[in-house]
Amino acid sequence: MKSLLLRQALVLVALALVPAIGQAIYYRDRVSWQTPIPASELVTVAQARSWGESAIWVDARQDEEFARDHVPGAILLNEDRWNDLLPQFLAAWSPEKKVVVYCSAQSCNAAREVAKRLRDEAQLKNVFVLEGGWEAWIKTKQ
Amino acid sequence: MKTRILTLALSMFIAAVARAELKWEQTQLELHPAANDKETVGHFKYQNTGDKPVRFKSVRTSCGCTIAQTQKEEVPPGEKGEITATLKIGDRTGVQIKNVTVETDDPANVVTVLTLKAVLPVLLEIKPTFVYWEGAEAPKPKTITVHAGKDFPVKELKVTSSSPDFQTKVEQVGNGEFKIDIEPKQMTHPAATTLTIQPDNSPRRFYAGARVTNVPAQNVPVGVRPQNVPVSVPPQNVPANVPAKNVPTPSNS
Repeated sequence: MKSLLLRQALVLVALALVPAIGQAIYYRDRVSWQTPIPASELVTVAQARSWGESAIWVDARQDEEFARDHVPGAILLNEDRWNDLLPQFLAAWSPEKKVVVYCSAQSCNAAREVAKRLRDEAQLKNVFVLEGGWEAWIKTKQ
Repeated sequence: MKTRILTLALSMFIAAVARAELKWEQTQLELHPAANDKETVGHFKYQNTGDKPVRFKSVRTSCGCTIAQTQKEEVPPGEKGEITATLKIGDRTGVQIKNVTVETDDPANVVTVLTLKAVLPVLLEIKPTFVYWEGAEAPKPKTITVHAGKDFPVKELKVTSSSPDFQTKVEQVGNGEFKIDIEPKQMTHPAATTLTIQPDNSPRRFYAGARVTNVPAQNVPVGVRPQNVPVSVPPQNVPANVPAKNVPTPSNS
């Protein structure tokens, strides 16, 4: 009786695994987009502000948005012109500095992508995404 | 009284039967733009299969790099149309997934999320794109590896440094694989360079950076501030429409 129950349970698990694996394969490229940013990679405006001079603010929005307004001292670095903009960021960077990347809202993916490229391609440490993005920073200004 | 009840019942019946329904041909598209494409466009086609018009309330994208456009604000019953999503490629590489959120007054599908997946060709994979030496470190060479994409056959790489403070050596280590050794000529003052990497098969240029940073105070010659790193930043690095006061500086406030 016990072994029958066990066998049935195993069959059910195996059946559940088939669509689960299929979905994991089909959506493999979408996982990183949909998963939330790990808390260790996020920073609040208050925390980032408390870092003062040891933080570099990076604006991952488009050129026009940056030109309209940005965090004072922020460096423009977006994926539209990554190759052109990266040198000026690297010139301002130093190993002891923390990098705070922001874009226009929490839903915007640009900050996350820029932070990822800085970590993966430039192999920088201490790169964070600003929680709530530009809007959160504006709120604290008011 | 009977007429009123009949009218009410009839109008309730019509309201129940009449429906708006926007059917999407596809809500997910995969695009494979060519290496030199500046943008890639996805066409999300739909048809109103109901018998009531459907109105678009809003169309939003998940990224400023994607522009979505509707052909019309209202779709009459039976009509077809499409929403186009244009992704600006810029310097993006690899797989890009962008969402377009469409909100309509169709009660059956108030919100539809359209997904645009663009598989952008990776021409050169450069890792790392930045190397640095700290003041206390020995000025030993560091290596940057370059892999050419499978559809981007590269036989030769030309690497130039924007600063004479660094020397570079390029070596082919395999088919489409290269090694760039870079080393600073001195560690006595801060220095930075931008390496321009030019493959033989394309006019496109790729970049990597290197820096000597945090030079101990006793090594810094008089007149050179450690934070004031001499780096050649091409003039196009600042967008033309950015006012002078917005030119980025290393300082934060």
